[in-house]
Amino acid sequence: MAEGFIAAIKTADVPVNGMVAVNVNGSRVTVANVQGVYYAFDDECTHEQCSLAEGDLAGTTVTCMCHGAEFDVRSGQVLAPPAVVPVRVYRTRVEGDALHIEI
Amino acid sequence: MAAYVVIGASLAGASAAIALRQQSIDANVTLLGAEDSLPYERPPLSKGYLRGTVPLEKLLVRPAQFYSDQSIELMLGSRVTGIDASRRIVHVAGGKRVPYDSLLIATGAHNRQAHIPGIDLDGVHSLRDIRDADRLRAEMRPGRKAVVVGMGFIGSEVAASLRHEGLEVTAIDPGKTPLARVLGEEVGAKLAALHQSYGVKTIFNHSVAALEGDGRVEAVTTKAGLRIPCEMVVMGIGVEPTVDFLDGSGVHVDNGVVVDEYCATNVAGIYAAGDVANHYHPVFGRHIRVEHWQNAMRQGAGAARNMLGELVPYDDIPWFWSDQYDANIQYAGYHTAYDELIIRGHLDGASYAAFYMNRGAISAVVGLNNAKDVRRAMPLIRARRPVDRDWLRDDSVDLRTLSV
Repeated sequence: MAEGFIAAIKTADVPVNGMVAVNVNGSRVTVANVQGVYYAFDDECTHEQCSLAEGDLAGTTVTCMCHGAEFDVRSGQVLAPPAVVPVRVYRTRVEGDALHIEI
Repeated sequence: MAAYVVIGASLAGASAAIALRQQSIDANVTLLGAEDSLPYERPPLSKGYLRGTVPLEKLLVRPAQFYSDQSIELMLGSRVTGIDASRRIVHVAGGKRVPYDSLLIATGAHNRQAHIPGIDLDGVHSLRDIRDADRLRAEMRPGRKAVVVGMGFIGSEVAASLRHEGLEVTAIDPGKTPLARVLGEEVGAKLAALHQSYGVKTIFNHSVAALEGDGRVEAVTTKAGLRIPCEMVVMGIGVEPTVDFLDGSGVHVDNGVVVDEYCATNVAGIYAAGDVANHYHPVFGRHIRVEHWQNAMRQGAGAARNMLGELVPYDDIPWFWSDQYDANIQYAGYHTAYDELIIRGHLDGASYAAFYMNRGAISAVVGLNNAKDVRRAMPLIRARRPVDRDWLRDDSVDLRTLSV
C-alpha cells in the first residue's frame, strides 16, 4: 500500500541515461535517469532474480543482462521475453536536490 | 477457422502456440507433445533441477491453467508417427489423426546413442528430459565415483553439478579441452582449468572404448587403454534432431528440417523451429541449427508470425549461457572457424570477453562472468562490419559506442 513519497537518493547521484539501485523502506528499487526524467521500478527482474540496475538502459528501455528480458521503464511493461510479468513501477518526484519515490 | 498444429510441446512449440494465440484470437491452436509433461524449459535439468534447488513448477513454460484459459489444445503423450502433407493430416501413435492448415515442427532433438559395449548397463545415464534428470539425481550421493563422457555443455554442467553434490568426477573427452569445437582451444583450456580447480579429474584426447560391468557399470575403458573404475556414468555426447516421423512426408531433411529465413520448409504450410530446424540465417548467410534456449523461444514465436502470413525473417543473433560452478559463460553470434581471437581483459582473469573474428568483423563472442559485453557485442555481430581491434581489446571502451 502507498505510504507516500520517500526521499530515496540525490538526483545528482543518478547519471544521465544511467541507473542506480537504492533501498527504500526495505524494497530494492532502481532509479533510471532518462535525459533528466527519473523513473523508478523494482530492481529485481520478474524473470529470475537479476538486478535490473546492472542491466543496460537505452532510451526508456531497460535490458536485463541475465537473459535479455526488456522492460519499458515508464510503465514496467515487458518489451521482450523471457520475462512475462511486468516489473512494478513507482511514481517519482524531485524535491530540491532529492528524488522522492512513492512506495 | 484455420487450424494451427504444433508438433512438440517444447519451449519452441509452446512459444509458437502462445504467439499464435496472441496474434490470432480465433485460430484453432493444437500443441502435440510426445512427453506427458506440460511444456518445460530444459536448462535447469543439468543444474538447479538436478541439484534439487529448482522445483518442477519453475521449469514450466506456463502453468496448466494458461493453456485452457487461452484455448490452446494440449495433446500430451501424443507421439507423432507421420505427416500426410497432401491431405494436411498429422498421424499420432494410437491411430488418431489431426488435420491442419498450417503446421509447425518443433520436435527438438534426442540424445545421440553411443554404439559401445556396455551402454545398456545399469548406472549409465544420459540427460535430456525430466525423467532422465530424476533417474540421475536418484543416484547422486556424496563420495560416489562418476565418469562424465563428453565435455560439451551438458557434460560440463553435469560435471559441475556432480562436484557440487560431492561426487568424485572424472571427465573424458576426445578433444583437447572441454567445448573445444564450440569455443576453441584457447578458451577451452581455461574451462579445463576451471573444472580441475573444482576437483574434476580430466582426461582429454581420449575416446571411450567400452563400459564394463556385470549388470551395473563398474569401469570405463578408453581406446588408448585407460581403465577408470566408477559407480556411475553420464553420457554427454550430443544430440540429433528428431525427424524420423518425416520419412515419406516430402519435407526436406538435412541436419534437421531445412527451412528458409521465414522458418518455412519446402512443403507448403509446414514450418519448423527450435533445435530441429536447420534455418537459413540472414545475418550469417547460411543455414545454422541452434540447440539453445533463446533460439527455441524466439524462433518458435518467429515461426508463428510467418504461419499467420506476416513474412518476417527470423534473424535474432543466437545467444546462450552456461553456468558451471561460480562461472557464468555467455556466447552470442555464430562461428565455426576464426582467423583471430581478440581478448578483452585476460583469459586468466575472473571475467573476460573473447571475440571470434573473421576478416576484421566479429562472428561471435564468448564472455566469462561478462554478460554485459556479450550483449553489447550483439549489434556489432549483426552489422558484420570490421571493428577496431584496439577498441575491442580495451575494456574501458563501452562497446555500445562502437555500434553506430
